[in-house]
Amino acid sequence: MRGIVFSDKEDILSQALTFFRQKMEIDAAIYSENPQSSAEFGAKKLFFLQGTGFSDNVSDALLSIIQKENYDFIFITSTALGREVAGIVSDKLGKEIIAEIFDFNIDNSKVKTKRFAWGGKTVAEEESDCRIFTVMPGIVEASKVPEKSEVSQVRMNDSKVSLVQTIPKSSSTVDLEHAGIIVSIGRGIGKKESIDQIMPLVKAVKGELAGSRPVCLDYQWLSEDRQVGLSGRKVKPKLYIALGVSGQIQHIAGMRGSKTVIAINKDKMAPIFEEADYGVVGDLFQIVPMIVKALQQ
Amino acid sequence: MIYLPYNIIVLIKQILDIDQMKTNQSTGEPITEGVPMRIENLSKNAIEAAVRIKEKYGGKLTGIIFGGEQSSSAMKEAYAIGVDEGIVIKGYKGKNPSVTARVLSEKIKTLPYDMVILGNQSADTYTGLLPGKLSSLLNVPLLGNAVSIEPGEKEVKVTRVLEDHNVILKGNFPVIISVSQEINEPRLPAVLQIIKAGKREIKMETASVQDSSSIKILSDRAPKSERKKEVYEEPEKAIPVLTRVIKEAML
Ligand SMILES: Cc1cc2nc3c(=O)[nH]c(=O)nc-3n(C[C@H](O)[C@H](O)[C@H](O)COP(=O)(O)OP(=O)(O)OC[C@H]3O[C@@H](n4cnc5c(N)ncnc54)[C@H](O)[C@@H]3O)c2cc1C
Ligand SMILES: Nc1ncnc2c1ncn2[C@@H]1O[C@H](COP(=O)(O)O)[C@@H](O)[C@H]1O
Repeated sequence: MRGIVFSDKEDILSQALTFFRQKMEIDAAIYSENPQSSAEFGAKKLFFLQGTGFSDNVSDALLSIIQKENYDFIFITSTALGREVAGIVSDKLGKEIIAEIFDFNIDNSKVKTKRFAWGGKTVAEEESDCRIFTVMPGIVEASKVPEKSEVSQVRMNDSKVSLVQTIPKSSSTVDLEHAGIIVSIGRGIGKKESIDQIMPLVKAVKGELAGSRPVCLDYQWLSEDRQVGLSGRKVKPKLYIALGVSGQIQHIAGMRGSKTVIAINKDKMAPIFEEADYGVVGDLFQIVPMIVKALQQ
Repeated sequence: MIYLPYNIIVLIKQILDIDQMKTNQSTGEPITEGVPMRIENLSKNAIEAAVRIKEKYGGKLTGIIFGGEQSSSAMKEAYAIGVDEGIVIKGYKGKNPSVTARVLSEKIKTLPYDMVILGNQSADTYTGLLPGKLSSLLNVPLLGNAVSIEPGEKEVKVTRVLEDHNVILKGNFPVIISVSQEINEPRLPAVLQIIKAGKREIKMETASVQDSSSIKILSDRAPKSERKKEVYEEPEKAIPVLTRVIKEAML
């Protein structure tokens, strides 16, 4: 059995390759500015897509590789571009697709997969004859293999869409996936300046700061790579401290793997208390300094 | 400002209110009976984005829901926000995105449009496949994951959010634009508008759907929460516990 993984993010590609190389012979295709290490994660062949890519021309290039190589399985990592490409490729091939899987097994020619359903509230396990999937980021931790992939370049055609400008985002190097303690802030923090009042706790516990989606995306109080949740990072620290986070299911999906959870919220009915080991009902701005003080004693 | 009336199609999904949905305490299975329906989150962002374009430049908004009889309530809400004409296609059964894309694309092909606006990933099924599928079926370019939309005379400029950076793109009409949740804060319709919307007509149509899916659900359950759920209402009592837990985690 042979498959291919496509991604436009090297770190996510390497995770997916680490997972799928244990299931079948796997190739990879990447569309990325300057791919450095993609050849080290067990793909037999590695295709570099070159040019300026959008959903249309990236899909065309991927389809030409798929047609030539005749794969049994196609895996596309779930990024903004990946999902678009998956929609186009599955339509062009006329094949059924399952989105956002985080587990995959082959059982007597049937495929068994898992994905979140109902907005993250449940996990659906499904059996199918599907051959195309989008794969959630972070399926396993990436690990290298000694053999390098055999690399070739694929030049893409022009897209119907044109690029006007690229706007860089400040890339930081937080490693939430490996943090031991995470202090996570939600909209309950009220304003960006209030983060100063949380930092003494972050320092006292030697933790990493993270946030909910509104905090990272809508208000940009924190950088986007600190967002925990369904569409953000999936974290599994020893201790997760949620401050002013309501605990919507999309947030829970990213922190469910935490060993212990502390939640502080002024609303007694907040759903985060259902996902907490220790909860405090109250104003986080009063409670946080009390904890810091107690820790210093 | 130039006045450019645009023809815009907005795709609206109606879903079970997942925030109100509970799961069975012992089996973990979702309890769907009695859960009210509402407009899906990203569809609200899509409507809001389209209404803002209309308010600024003029134009006509056509809303399409592939749903059922009960979807007229969602369409009325869309009217109250600013959609001009609503089409409800009945026959939505499962969650097969290929079927949804085919039904919607067949309808879209019969209508004039400059822009089709939809969500990038719906809040319940979270597949995110519809933008790409529609682009393929309609053979119309996709400007995806938009946080801003600036329509011009013949073309539209979109700021697209990616994981590591953002890009500004442009494409000639007609285009498909999928929006990201950050694009706007959807408004709540005014009461007066809701009352007015109640009287307006909605086109009800029916799609014949054959779904030959091979997908069989083996189980659908909430992951078990084995949290202790010790909740304190007096901070003084909580502090010693919290400091002990934190110190243990720091070891
Ligand atoms: C497709 C999709 C994907 C999503 N992905 C993610 C994701 O990856 N991550 C994510 O986080 N969200 C995600 N969301 C958004 C999610 O649905 C919620 O909107 C979000 O998690 C809510 O963030 P919050 O808890 O910070 O804000 P809110 O829900 O507004 O909660 C704020 C909380 O703070 C409390 N509070 C206020 N003041 C205080 C105080 N002084 N002291 C103590 N408590 C206080 C309030 O009681 C409230 O519970 C997604 C949504 C969709 C539709
Ligand atoms: N049944 C439907 N009827 C109309 N629009 C839909 C439907 N399903 C999805 N959409 C639109 O497509 C977007 C993305 O959905 P999806 O690709 O299913 O995650 C949604 O935010 C809606 O705008």
